[in-house]
Amino acid sequence: MAQGAATGPAAVMVSPSRLAWRSFLRDRIAVAGMMACTLFFVVALFGLLVTKGDHPVLDPRQVRLADKFRAPLSLPNRLAVPIEALPRLGVYLLGTDELGRDVFARMLEGAFVSLSVGFVAVGIAVAIGIIFGGIAGYYGRVRILRLMSVDTLITGLIDVALSFPAFFLILTVVAILRPSIWNIMVVIGLTSWEGTARFVRAEILALREQDFVQAARALGVSGPRVILRHLLPNAVAPVLVSATLGIAGAILTESALSFLGFGVPPPDATWGNILSDGKNYLFDAWWLTIIPGTAILVIVLAFNLFGEGLREAFNPRLRQL
Amino acid sequence: MLSFLLRTGWKKLWTLFFISVISFAVIHLAPGEPSQIDPMNPRFTPQQLERYRKAFDLDQPLHIQYLRFYRRLFTGELRSFKDNQPVLPKIVERVWNSLWLFLAGTILVWCAAFPLGITTAIRRNSVLDKVTTVVVFALISIPGFYLAYLLIIFVVQTFHVDVIGLRTFGHQGRNLVWSFMDRTWHLVLPSVLGATAGIAILSRYVRAQMLEVITSDYVRTARAKGLDEDTVLYKHALRNGLLPFVTMLGLIVPGLVGGSVIIETIFAWPGIGRLGYEAILSRDYPIVITLNFVAALLTLVGTLLSDLLYMVVDPRIRLEGVE
Repeated sequence: MAQGAATGPAAVMVSPSRLAWRSFLRDRIAVAGMMACTLFFVVALFGLLVTKGDHPVLDPRQVRLADKFRAPLSLPNRLAVPIEALPRLGVYLLGTDELGRDVFARMLEGAFVSLSVGFVAVGIAVAIGIIFGGIAGYYGRVRILRLMSVDTLITGLIDVALSFPAFFLILTVVAILRPSIWNIMVVIGLTSWEGTARFVRAEILALREQDFVQAARALGVSGPRVILRHLLPNAVAPVLVSATLGIAGAILTESALSFLGFGVPPPDATWGNILSDGKNYLFDAWWLTIIPGTAILVIVLAFNLFGEGLREAFNPRLRQL
Repeated sequence: MLSFLLRTGWKKLWTLFFISVISFAVIHLAPGEPSQIDPMNPRFTPQQLERYRKAFDLDQPLHIQYLRFYRRLFTGELRSFKDNQPVLPKIVERVWNSLWLFLAGTILVWCAAFPLGITTAIRRNSVLDKVTTVVVFALISIPGFYLAYLLIIFVVQTFHVDVIGLRTFGHQGRNLVWSFMDRTWHLVLPSVLGATAGIAILSRYVRAQMLEVITSDYVRTARAKGLDEDTVLYKHALRNGLLPFVTMLGLIVPGLVGGSVIIETIFAWPGIGRLGYEAILSRDYPIVITLNFVAALLTLVGTLLSDLLYMVVDPRIRLEGVE
């Protein structure tokens, strides 16, 4: 059988990751999610370019009291608004808020801030997850003070972390420390590493006794290097999946914190705080709620569908060929 | 069997210890030193600091602080900063209100998620599966409070009914049937909203689990034997596929506190989520810290129960350590 396959004309070597990728591309919903995520990156970077600096092209902080609560696509009041404060586009594309600030500019600014909240939080979570998962998987049998093994300790820590109601704990810590964008990122990161740690640990446990690890060890490669260079690459897929879903979760958590008044504080705009400020004017200015709410829904949905598609594609049992 | 019980118990004891340490450590995040008094912050005066230091024995060494904190908690000496009532009874009183919401939500979740997950797994890649996937993910992805606002506006404008709070205000004297119906109606919207995310997440898990089982070898064997599709799916696949969900019984408990903060705040529902949020707003640290501890403790009990349940339903677990 094996010989036949090796000499047969159709025996082309295809790596598992390429197989997964092919299967992913066949999942149209997931591909749509990936494209929406890419578009979001572009928008966020573009938003950073046009809204930052002393004289940004589109100023999200320009207050125009004469032009508050303008509906989307409405024209500025040229008689009341000073010339330097007029919107560059000549029209309020997505309307203005209660201070006459341009919602389009604020959404652009918020895209980058929301994205960085997601990325930094997930970065922290993945880093902690890899360290704990790696140690538990590789050094699991080492005993501490003859009491318990390293593995028992770390899986115990994971159980502990899962026991706390994550959102309430985040709320507690952010409230005690005062909300700032860095506190929020760090706290979300510190409370969402368990999934990554579990995946990494499971993957390393499964591979620890294999020949290539033995060979590396026999060559005198140090433990951390074995973990990072030889074992971790095998766990990239599950880590990537939980990171993608984690970004979605972090954006949602930030908006929920904003709703309760503990989100990223002004003047930084995030989609979450635009939405939670806007809901106070729901009956006067629907666009202040509907636009950021729908934007969050779409982008979180995109990350979720992308992540789910990756998960199915990288799971050989679920892969569709 | 006995060794399994002992090992589980030993592990849970360690978990309990760490939970108690972390709940206690949260206290130390709050500014506790006199040098940290900020004259610009009206919420943080020297009097409050004094009260805080006294309530948590911040002058003592750490291990004494830890022991005294839990002694005070359980003897009822730990009192709320706001109204000076013992913390535990105050929480228990609110648990009842949350429990109704939680039970209604959980029943909704389980009744909807399992049929949905199983059907979409069996009919994988059908139009139904694709549509459900997108809808379910949309429900996970929508900010809860945004959905709640949209739903409240829709319901109030279409049916002209009251949806906020435990009951309609100003109808205390009405007869029993009327108030029962009224309370049940007030339960509908918050529990449906509380359940949406749960339905979405659980149905995905059920679907993934069913897919794993359906593609496994023993199911193929069952088909090869010539069994009819219903027997294969419902007698062979489903039984194994649903096993892991016994463990989920324990994991739904943290939702009792964490998941309810936003819903209870929106609906002015006097449960523990709202108690927690009010305590956070008024810097009522004893309540906040105890709530975190109680929620973690409940989860621990939940996971212990589901471990035991798992042992009953899955013989492989019982034999795990034997070899």
